[in-house]
Amino acid sequence: MSGFLAVTILLAAPLLLAAVGELLLERAGSIQIGVEGTMLLGAFAAFAASQKGAGPHAALGAAILTGLLAGAAFALFAVAGRADPVLVGTAWNLVGYGATAFGYRLIAGATGSVLEIASLPPVFLGLPVAVFLAFLAPVVLELFLARTRPGLAVTAAGENPLALDALGGSVVAVRSAASLAAGALAGAGGAVLVLTVSPAFVEGVTAGRGFLALALVVFARWKPLRLVPGALLIGGATALAYRLQAGGATRIPYAVFLALPGILALFALAIARGRGGAPRALGTPAP
Amino acid sequence: MSAPRRVLVPAAAAGAAIASLAALALLAGASPLDALRALASGSAGSRAALGETLLRSTGLVLTAAGACLALRTGVLNIGLEGQFLAGAAAAAAVGPALAGIPLLARAAMLLAAAAAGALWVLPAAVLAAKRNVPEVLSTILLNLIAATAVSGLVRGALRDPVGDYPQSRALPDAVRLAPLFGGGRATAAVLLAFLAAALLAVLLSATPLGLKLRAVGLAPAASRAIGLPEARLKLLAFAGSGALAGLAGGLEVLAVTGRLYDPFSAGTGYAGLAAALLGQAQPVPSALAGLFFAALGAGSSAMQRDTGVPAAVASLVPGILVLAVLAARARAGRSAP
Repeated sequence: MSGFLAVTILLAAPLLLAAVGELLLERAGSIQIGVEGTMLLGAFAAFAASQKGAGPHAALGAAILTGLLAGAAFALFAVAGRADPVLVGTAWNLVGYGATAFGYRLIAGATGSVLEIASLPPVFLGLPVAVFLAFLAPVVLELFLARTRPGLAVTAAGENPLALDALGGSVVAVRSAASLAAGALAGAGGAVLVLTVSPAFVEGVTAGRGFLALALVVFARWKPLRLVPGALLIGGATALAYRLQAGGATRIPYAVFLALPGILALFALAIARGRGGAPRALGTPAP
Repeated sequence: MSAPRRVLVPAAAAGAAIASLAALALLAGASPLDALRALASGSAGSRAALGETLLRSTGLVLTAAGACLALRTGVLNIGLEGQFLAGAAAAAAVGPALAGIPLLARAAMLLAAAAAGALWVLPAAVLAAKRNVPEVLSTILLNLIAATAVSGLVRGALRDPVGDYPQSRALPDAVRLAPLFGGGRATAAVLLAFLAAALLAVLLSATPLGLKLRAVGLAPAASRAIGLPEARLKLLAFAGSGALAGLAGGLEVLAVTGRLYDPFSAGTGYAGLAAALLGQAQPVPSALAGLFFAALGAGSSAMQRDTGVPAAVASLVPGILVLAVLAARARAGRSAP
């Protein structure tokens, strides 16, 4: 089963990166529904950089930079601009999908052929360093939130922004910084996907992973370490769907396995009792 | 909405659309003027082009109407895409079975589609009411599940036994809707869509029920205080928006594709929501925004063919426009006393 385990870990990594960033942003009191769009932009940036001759690590860097820009754009509209974050995120998904399809057409032309790119080199268990860093990210975020002063400011911005404001802190600055980090992590997540799982870019390559990352945050009840089992569960379900697809005949309907990650996340939402554990000021504008 | 804003918003949106299209054309190395000309002639330059625009507008106008109903009642139904797919699947399942009696088949398809759309949103409505689960998250997940369900259905229960492709059985020509005018593919479905938008506008602005729905959306606490049944009104908005999106999916099968395949929707539900945001959640302006997005979609294929500017502008430009409108509205909201 080691092959199955490695695939599970590999599939969990992009989800985990995006979810860690989203969790940080939500703990700061904002919410980005457009993670999917940012992941797509990151995946495309990595692909485009590879096409221009960059190595896989430089491609990952390009994706992180693109994610930072996406995070800055979200902060501009939804944090500093105080537009409804959910609606900004919905539009952001359209922008991400449209912009990457536009860019892909310009690079790949009308040929429609799949352009392969170099994968991140494996270091251990056939997995690249970035995958292990993805599993380290929740631990780092946990320590950051629980043990550092900036981490405390993030919690304050999400729980009681008026108090932070009264104490002379800037809610906009804290949430914007969180948005930059969330964008960078989502961009990295999209890049890890195209630099490992499918070493090529196709339109909509993230296939809903950004949406699953959103659900994971709720499943984890906004606690970073609890993202890990959720991501492994969804990664495992996806790996199982791949395996069954490759294996052909099965008595369980094929659609059930395709839909498994989404169904699991929905059950997780129901069990997690909705907003139980959610930051109190989640989705409200900064004072 | 005040009179100057009624003129200003569409004018600003049209200006922003032309500016972003021109910039994207330059980015693709084409002449902006050529690109815009190709876009215009591809969306309205001939009977065929006009038919294509109207054909594409059906789903967008209906999902935009669904989004308006939800938004005005304070329900964030991001799941129109999934409800569209549920409606399409239900119509594709029912239609071929009743092919012998075309009128009955059509009626059953539309009824099944609307019901399926309403049912598909139900888990989100129940989870929101009973367990306080934000519908934003649950409806997004229902979109994912719907897409995979369609993928499974066309390979399993609904698969056409004849032919090699994973798709459902074709609807006979006798059941499918005939073109509205010669030389174009548009059918009466587009009239139904605009009629639904007009009826929704009347419902929201001129009936007691509409007033109650809007009250729940605008002032939930005050609505509860005066004894409005908030839970029931929200459930109605959920189900109504789901039914409209489901109907859009059913009409897509009945009037356009004639069968279900995978992937079936190119983001109609998301684009419909964007149209409603551009139309400030007002049914008629939102329907016009949907028509505009449809023209972009129809014209962008011609633009890609003639000038090489990628057709993806059809989803990129609506996204940019909605961001601009949201930013402008937030700014106006802050400067107001």
